[in-house]
Amino acid sequence: MQNFFSLILEPLKGVYAEFADFFPNLLAMFIIIFLGIVAARIVRAVVLKLLKAVNFDSWSDRMGFTTIMRKGDLWAKPSAAVGSFLFWLLIIVVFMAGFGALKIRAIDDLVSQCVLYLPRVLSAVLIVVVGYIVTGFIGRAILIFMVNRGYHFAKLLVEAVRLLLIVLFVAMALEQLQVAPRIVVSAFSIIFGGIVLALAIAFGVGGIEAAKKVIEKETVEKKDEKNDDIEHI
Amino acid sequence: MTMDSIISRKEVHDQLEKIKTADILVGIPSYNNARTIGHVVRAVQAGIAKYFPERKAVLVDSDGGSSDGTIEIVQKTTLEDFQSILFHHRIEPVFKMAIPYHGVPGKGSAFRTLFEIADALNVKACAVVDSDLRSITPEWIELLLKPVLEEGFDYVAPLYQRHKYDGTITNSIIYPLTRALYGKRVRQPIGGDFGFSGRLAKFYLTKDVWKTDVARYGIDIWMTTTAVANNFKVAQSFLGAKIHDPKDPGADLSEMLYQVVGAAFDLMETYPDSWKAARGSEPVTTFGFQYTVGLEHVKVNVERMVTIFREGIKGLREIWIDVLGAGDFGQIEELGSLPDLKFRFPLSLWTRVVYDYALAYHTKKLPRGHLLKSLTPLYLGKTASFVMETENMRQDEAEDEIEKLCAEFESIKEHLINGWK
Repeated sequence: MQNFFSLILEPLKGVYAEFADFFPNLLAMFIIIFLGIVAARIVRAVVLKLLKAVNFDSWSDRMGFTTIMRKGDLWAKPSAAVGSFLFWLLIIVVFMAGFGALKIRAIDDLVSQCVLYLPRVLSAVLIVVVGYIVTGFIGRAILIFMVNRGYHFAKLLVEAVRLLLIVLFVAMALEQLQVAPRIVVSAFSIIFGGIVLALAIAFGVGGIEAAKKVIEKETVEKKDEKNDDIEHI
Repeated sequence: MTMDSIISRKEVHDQLEKIKTADILVGIPSYNNARTIGHVVRAVQAGIAKYFPERKAVLVDSDGGSSDGTIEIVQKTTLEDFQSILFHHRIEPVFKMAIPYHGVPGKGSAFRTLFEIADALNVKACAVVDSDLRSITPEWIELLLKPVLEEGFDYVAPLYQRHKYDGTITNSIIYPLTRALYGKRVRQPIGGDFGFSGRLAKFYLTKDVWKTDVARYGIDIWMTTTAVANNFKVAQSFLGAKIHDPKDPGADLSEMLYQVVGAAFDLMETYPDSWKAARGSEPVTTFGFQYTVGLEHVKVNVERMVTIFREGIKGLREIWIDVLGAGDFGQIEELGSLPDLKFRFPLSLWTRVVYDYALAYHTKKLPRGHLLKSLTPLYLGKTASFVMETENMRQDEAEDEIEKLCAEFESIKEHLINGWK
């Protein structure tokens, strides 16, 4: 009978012993996560105060960052956005540190993989953000130039340029993330080449008349400009 | 004397050592003006000889690296050819200097060289005249220098008889804006030919603007505004017609607008207290006998201007809504839908457009270049409207229209002051 009890109790003892070994790790995880969340909140509050003190929102308005955020459908204040970004970045770090405290090999491997992957994510985010700003800047510069020259299809052409640039930057970001890099590069080449080929065919075959009109218009405009004697200054 | 000062160059220093001091400096900024500069130099020399025979004078050609022999022509052109027309024998010699300037290529850098030489020679009065002028006479030198030498003025702006369609950036933006801002009716604030005192030349040199657009097209508006906003004594002189070499076909309108309007807006940042305090405007003392001049016909392609304006409505819609607000953009859209014959840009709308662009520039709503260049279609719309409105008007009647626009700029200046945060 005693053997029977020991047959039941031994595994339970083993579970208890393992739990007793594991409990401090679990406790450590909860404490790390709890303290981490508190610290992240404090950091966010301090950063918000600091950004407010240096008038970061007004500076962002002037530099055009607010407009970029609005265009990306982000309606928070720029300072709040920076605060939230830092907060969530810290939360990710805190959770990874917390899970690390459990000392479970599988989780440790996962965490270290995540840590190693994080720089790629950050640089991909950076590529997308910079790409968005550069695309907006170049697109607007071309649009203003073409409108001031009186081109009829300025907006259409600028949308095409924007599309090409977005495709380029998204491909760069995906390549950075190592998401099926071969497929990304091939897909990019196909899409990019396809767009250029489509434009060439549209302009060279389907759009001969349109192309002719654009070229004729440009020639006439240059002539018109020369026929204009007006002194603007 | 800074490291990049023209005075630090040995050949310039040696020439200045020889001259030591002078009463008058006449400067000619040049760049490949071999065709016209000979006439300008002769007119300047005759003007100095005829009206200032007892003053020690220096003629300086500040050249931007001409490759067509401009400098050689300046050095060769002498006074002997027209000695017969002079009443007085010249007592003091006219020194001549032809110097390639340094720095950002442009008229402003050429002027900086002139200010430095004026400062080094401690001159009492300076005049600057464009090198492509065909209508300059010796009297221009008298009219630009005498108010400084004999009447105590520090700055003399030109007053020309121009065709009603010429100087449209001046007429529709720069003159109404500077007049409303600083309260002085200087009719040609960016005329190109000016007189100023040695004291003002020294003051200009204290400003660190030589790497900005002031070094290029922006110099004229900068000189005028700096003089007015710092309470220097300002006058204007009637010089007659301004006829110069045909314009440079490569000159880009957007670039001109960018530099001139950008310089005017920059100056609003420099002197906010000055322009916020000014109310209304007052005339400035005008020298010279005003007369009517027969002017050459000016061809204008109105259709092209209206086309670009309409393309602007389609293409720059988001930018204009952002800068002007939905209400005024609605009015612009309505304007674009009118047939060409009925196309008229209301004065109040145009005034708000200029003020809203100034405010957008102040708050840095868009990158500077994009913002100012997006004004081009609106400006062309306004110009086309002015040309059509004044088609059958005499010169003085067209001038009355400009006067109405100035009154509008003055009457809604509060819009600008209230929006300036």
